[in-house]
Amino acid sequence: MRLVRSEHTAGWAFILPAVVLIVAFGLVPIVWALLLSFQSSDFVSPPKWVGLANYQALRHDPDFRAAIVRTLEYTAIFVPVVVLGGLGVAVLLNAKVRFISIYRTAFFVPVACSTVATAIIFNWLLEPTFGLVNWVLGWFSLGPYGFFQDPNQALFSVVLMTSWGWIGFNAIIYLAALQGIPGELLEAAEIDGASRFVTFWRVVWPLLGPATLLLVVWSSINALQVFDEIYVSTRGGPLQATTVVVYYLYEQAFRFFAAGYGAAIAYVLFVAILLLTLLQLWIGRRRVHYTS
Amino acid sequence: MNRRTLPLVALLLAVVIGGLAVGSVGARSKASPTKVVLWHGYTDYEAKAIKAAVASYNKTHPNVHVTAQFYGNADYALQKVLTAIAGGKYPDIAYLYGSWAANIAKSPKTLDLTQRVKDPSFQFDDIWRAARAVGRVNGKVIGVPALIDNLALVYNKKLFRQAHVPFPTAKWTWADMRRAAKTLTNRGKKQFGWAYVNDGSEDTVWRFEALLWEAGGNILTSDGKHAAFNTSAGVKALKFLQQTVVKDKSVYLDSGNGNYANLFNSGRIAMLYTGPWDLASFPNVDYGVQILPRDRNHQTISGPDNWVLFDNGTQRSTAAWNFMKWFLSTNEHLKIALATGELPLRRSELKQPGYKRYVKKYKGIGTFVRNLANAEKSRPTTEKYPRISEAMGLAVQSVLLGKAQPKAALDKAAAKVDAILRTP
Repeated sequence: MRLVRSEHTAGWAFILPAVVLIVAFGLVPIVWALLLSFQSSDFVSPPKWVGLANYQALRHDPDFRAAIVRTLEYTAIFVPVVVLGGLGVAVLLNAKVRFISIYRTAFFVPVACSTVATAIIFNWLLEPTFGLVNWVLGWFSLGPYGFFQDPNQALFSVVLMTSWGWIGFNAIIYLAALQGIPGELLEAAEIDGASRFVTFWRVVWPLLGPATLLLVVWSSINALQVFDEIYVSTRGGPLQATTVVVYYLYEQAFRFFAAGYGAAIAYVLFVAILLLTLLQLWIGRRRVHYTS
Repeated sequence: MNRRTLPLVALLLAVVIGGLAVGSVGARSKASPTKVVLWHGYTDYEAKAIKAAVASYNKTHPNVHVTAQFYGNADYALQKVLTAIAGGKYPDIAYLYGSWAANIAKSPKTLDLTQRVKDPSFQFDDIWRAARAVGRVNGKVIGVPALIDNLALVYNKKLFRQAHVPFPTAKWTWADMRRAAKTLTNRGKKQFGWAYVNDGSEDTVWRFEALLWEAGGNILTSDGKHAAFNTSAGVKALKFLQQTVVKDKSVYLDSGNGNYANLFNSGRIAMLYTGPWDLASFPNVDYGVQILPRDRNHQTISGPDNWVLFDNGTQRSTAAWNFMKWFLSTNEHLKIALATGELPLRRSELKQPGYKRYVKKYKGIGTFVRNLANAEKSRPTTEKYPRISEAMGLAVQSVLLGKAQPKAALDKAAAKVDAILRTP
């Protein structure tokens, strides 16, 4: 009885369900995918060990290269849009006006929206002939645009859709950071005669550093892994204009049943994200001040 | 983990394992009839129909107990079945898309039905040829037909009357189709003559394949080693699409979200190339159904699916096969057709008294049944087909987006397909 009552045992007992779940659905698949990436497997016949062949094939796969370029383009647009957009919204929501909680809720609703629902809504909003967006643009003699159906506009349209869903989240983080800025610092700046712009640039922005770092890292990871919205809205098209790395992986593994090849793509992406995150954190450590 | 925690973990494990063991023993001791597990993705009235069939079989066959289990969306059934096989606990029968036949054929657990279907009482030849073809992989029969459909021309009668265009006839040509589509298009009213799914997926490809066959072309050469769709027939078929879409602008291009069905139902689109599964989505439209307009002939394409049987030992395999034989018999399948609106699988179903009720119950279905005779060719059953389809889909899509010309696009796709076919 002494054993069962001991705190140590109780601690283990409490976390055991979580540990089992994480091992079963987290660690095991991660290791299994790594093994799979060294195999030629179609999920059906017994897998064959092929060593690094999948990774070598990836180096010469023009479609994979195109998917990487597309993913980087997407990330390069998405991250600034959602980080700066989130900051802008947060500054507005930090104002002392009436009904502010209603506005805050309104901006956060898209975050709570499932990505699939978002994509279905945007499918209709951005529909070239019958969509609301082209209809409204028509009042100003703009458009009609092809959006998801035009290979040159599809990737931008996806950014439009995904950033709608993400800006609210970033705004909440920034809002919390803004409210954490000590009032006496702002007062001091005011007394020193700093203009609102200078106050923002010299006092507020540096103090938001940790939040900015977090959001840049988080948004980049999200951008590099974008999948759901593309799966529901454009399915990688038209003419592969939105075939990003994860969508390409999905096609290889679950449309063409090249499971080993898909796993190799997943590991390349994993290493790329790891390196990028380390780089961002390294830059962040030199530039971000954690104390005011 | 230290020594003090070990007994607790061991205790937990013991409870879990013990529970599993007790559970399985309990299940076994009761089981005297042979178990047959069938996986399907039916919902609603289709699920009701299959449950009713299974219940009536179990009542009349006390030695066998068939269980119909819902596996979720049929789109992901192959992954689920493969996972189940890998886990060692898999169904005896599963509903699988015809396009997966070549993949599932490779599993050592898939039953070879080549000898079974020769059983004279099964009357395999009574089933439509196109449905039989999709279960045949490298000469082996790995599945029996579960469903057959085909593409026909579905049109909105009201829009035809408004535009003073006579309804499509069984003698329509591509030129008639193109002319009607143009007349029925009204940009101001945002009304289109026709719709085409242009996401480059199999939805794009199989409609093109019907046109290709009508023009006398083929997907692959008869030895299956080379692409054959970049011939004059293929170019002609793609040009027909190009002219109606790019030149006439009389076609609504659906980006793969199925918007076309909603738009047809709200009277924005006059004609569709579609199958019986879509008819229930058009409650607001007084529609007619006609066979596809012809070029050299009126061929159509059908997308049959299979029941695939898996090896769980001879006793269960035999029981599963016997159930399938009963389930696919003329009378039983007609009952399913009556309840669900699925097309008959057997010619003999058309001669049954119930068939008249069926045609009356589902508007336009008679044309789809007659059209089965036009389903002369089938898509190649090779596990490379998804890649072949991708190459063809990109070709069609690029032409319809105005980014390429038919001949060049098809040649490029053919080169890709040849390379795909060369890899082992």
